[in-house]
Amino acid sequence: MSDALLEVRNVSLAFGGVRALSEVSFDVRRREVRAIIGPNGAGKSSMLNVLNGVYHPQQGTIRFENLEFRGMDPHRAARLGIARTFQNIALFKGMTVLDNIMTGRNLRMRCNFLQQALWLGPARREELEHRRAVEEIIDFLEIQHVRKTPVGRLPYGLQKRVELGRALAAEPKVLLLDEPMAGMNLEEKQDMCRFVLDVNDQFGTTLVLIEHDMGVVMDISDRVVVLDYGRKIADGSPQEVRNDQKVIDAYLGVTH
Amino acid sequence: MLYREAGQFKSTYAEDQQIFPIRQDRIGIALLLLLAFVVVPLVGDQYWLSAIVTPFLILSLAALGLNILTGYAGQLSLGTAAFMAVGAFMAYNAVLRIPGVPIIGAFAIGGLCAAAVGLVFGLPSLRIKGFYLAVATLACQFFVLWAINRIGWFSNHSSSGVITAQTISILGYGIVSPAQKYLLTLGIVAVMALAAKNLMRSETGRAFMAVRDMDVAASVIGIPMMRTKLLAFAISSFYCGVAGALYAYTYLGTVEPEAFTLDLSFRVLFMIIIGGIGSVLGSFLGAAFITVFPIFLNRGSEWLASALGVEFSHAAVSNIELIIFGGLIIFFLIVEPFGLARLWQIAKEKLRLWPFPH
Amino acid sequence: MDLAFFIEVLVGGLLAGVMYSLVALGFVLIYKASGVFNFAQGTMVFFAALTYVSLVERGWNAWLALLVTLAVMVALGVATERVVLRPLVNQPQITLFMATIGLTFVLEGLSQLIWGSQPHGLELGIADVPMEWLSQRWNVNVSQFDLFAAFVAGVLVAGLAVFFQKTRIGRALRAVADDHQAALAVGIPLQHIWAIVWAVAGFVALVAGLMWGVRNGVQFALTFVALKALPVLLIGGFESIPGAILGGLIIGATEKLAEVYVGPMVGGGIESWFAYVVALLFLLVRPEGLFGEKHIDRV
Repeated sequence: MSDALLEVRNVSLAFGGVRALSEVSFDVRRREVRAIIGPNGAGKSSMLNVLNGVYHPQQGTIRFENLEFRGMDPHRAARLGIARTFQNIALFKGMTVLDNIMTGRNLRMRCNFLQQALWLGPARREELEHRRAVEEIIDFLEIQHVRKTPVGRLPYGLQKRVELGRALAAEPKVLLLDEPMAGMNLEEKQDMCRFVLDVNDQFGTTLVLIEHDMGVVMDISDRVVVLDYGRKIADGSPQEVRNDQKVIDAYLGVTH
Repeated sequence: MLYREAGQFKSTYAEDQQIFPIRQDRIGIALLLLLAFVVVPLVGDQYWLSAIVTPFLILSLAALGLNILTGYAGQLSLGTAAFMAVGAFMAYNAVLRIPGVPIIGAFAIGGLCAAAVGLVFGLPSLRIKGFYLAVATLACQFFVLWAINRIGWFSNHSSSGVITAQTISILGYGIVSPAQKYLLTLGIVAVMALAAKNLMRSETGRAFMAVRDMDVAASVIGIPMMRTKLLAFAISSFYCGVAGALYAYTYLGTVEPEAFTLDLSFRVLFMIIIGGIGSVLGSFLGAAFITVFPIFLNRGSEWLASALGVEFSHAAVSNIELIIFGGLIIFFLIVEPFGLARLWQIAKEKLRLWPFPH
Repeated sequence: MDLAFFIEVLVGGLLAGVMYSLVALGFVLIYKASGVFNFAQGTMVFFAALTYVSLVERGWNAWLALLVTLAVMVALGVATERVVLRPLVNQPQITLFMATIGLTFVLEGLSQLIWGSQPHGLELGIADVPMEWLSQRWNVNVSQFDLFAAFVAGVLVAGLAVFFQKTRIGRALRAVADDHQAALAVGIPLQHIWAIVWAVAGFVALVAGLMWGVRNGVQFALTFVALKALPVLLIGGFESIPGAILGGLIIGATEKLAEVYVGPMVGGGIESWFAYVVALLFLLVRPEGLFGEKHIDRV
């Protein structure tokens, strides 16, 4: 119990008449890699959106560390240490890679605009200090060669990497990844897996990820939650879940 | 051959972070500043200084202000002239009513009042976006102009709303000649341009651009929406306010509310479209283009008229000017939507390779 | 308070609002079909009125002049689509908006270059005098011409409604307004459609130009009428024809009432900004206008 960084308790979410989530409960332990899987339309993205406050569930609560909430402002979630990436890349297309990742540091920047305008000592030091931190992330993600390129010009795989970088720049406690491997070829997926595992290893970040590629899920996750039509139908280690008949039925489309 | 980066290594982030990281650029800007501050006032023709160069600088400042709001922060505004008007009239009132206020202080007061107005009319941006916001800024433009006209206090109860800028002096030196006014304007504009550049490459600038590019994502990663948008309006209006004060004190001399109509707002908008949205350099290039273009057109039509042996009526010339102007805007948007600043960048890229083709 | 006077002001305002709606309709048509906010609409109104009046003054038959002006407006619309919009087809909305500002300047210069810049009066055969029947029975003065304009607007809107709902082209226009890609996918020729839309907007501009020309005379200031149509769009939503009418009525009525009752208290002249402030306040409650499409940002 005390091991759980994040707890989802009986969360139900509906849009108009459509039930996206029905009484979903699960927990996420500190430092683990938790995968959320399920057929299309199962409510996986909605679950992630609830976790960082973009959607507010009608029922149920989320417990994060010592804080229990139902509807949280996403801005506050970011301050608490919950970062995320998005299914359709939400990068700032007009800015360079470096600038995009630097925006991830915004919560740690203390200088006000006057100091920045005058480029006084504190503003300069702060900018350089954060630049150093961001360069480490750029090194880690192996994107040094494109750091000054406007993000809109990069291929899809690199953009996803930059988005991961921006989320990492916030030094989050929990990282929510919405289909981080979507649209990638085998090589890119291998790279991404490596980065994701390194993040978990080196920085100790807890990861919650949505992923369709079963091979990836089996390989890198510690535990798996399976959703179908907004309900949780399985919860356990990758092995357990893979052999669960309900899960097999859900993916094959067998109705209950 | 001349414009090579070879051998210029940057070993610290501080070096990489400079405004002009390439040595040749630094030399270039130093020469330019030398030219501007020393050579021009000595050599410059009085008329040219007071009728072309000084207004160019002032409008560059206004364009810079609009660029901060529309180019960097993505909030389309058509109220630029109104903010300039506030700056002009409030600076005038500051000099009038605060005994012994230094002129720079009066300009700052004008700017701050404009910033306050900008904050108020920027509030709708929290709910409204895009064209709806642009039309809302028209409310600002029309209301402010009406208020300045109707409320006698602004123009010291002059019957026609016209104010005459008082003569100014700094530390005992009078600022009366065109060269002196030019230098004062140049100094203020240079400092504010530097401040703007610093601001735009720091976190504030990034926050602005994030709001412009995808504001939902920006707020999800922690950028405060309200503060960022309001700050953009405030800073932008401050710049426009100071530009307005300069407009009155170092350029026009006599100012009426009608000098700050919607027409002027559009002119400044064109400066940033043609010059380059989201670029400090672009603001200057655009202002230069719009200031110099009518002159070219006039000379060109005169030459054409004499070459053909006909006389163009004044009205015809100004109509042709309008057509060509509108056509140029469309042309620029089609050919280079990022404006002259991008063309400049491309030219520099080519220059790096010269004399090799690629 | 004099009730008859109040009704007079109210009705006058509503009818003025109808005139605004006529201009707003042009905006809505183009925005609905192509997502372009056509700032040049006001100048198109002016250009149409000026062309018609200049032809008539040169002795042309009124109906012939009307037809020729209509042809000119249609040609203008098609040319605009080809020269200005097609090269800019994938650019963000703001770029297209600024292109229409450029177009405004071109049209302004062109119209004055061709036809000169003196103001003209315009007569359509219906006098701008109060309807005797109303003023005698209820002591309310309502201009005959205003009523005629309202009637024309009604016919126009009804015609457009039929056009959009019942004809094949109308259906195609609605498809294009909804989703360009999908429309292309089912074989709708996008560029033809846009040309048609601009032509129809040109026709609407002509109608609006004639109405306004009678009311205010055909002079350069007519281009500013378009600026008054903008608050109408804010209230009604940029994509809605009924919104344009309703918004026009609201703006017209509140503006007239404010002018008469509030104006004298603050020194007058509030027509320059009152409509905008009303629209602004309205937007704070409904950010997309009455019938505008709700903008959902998906992340």
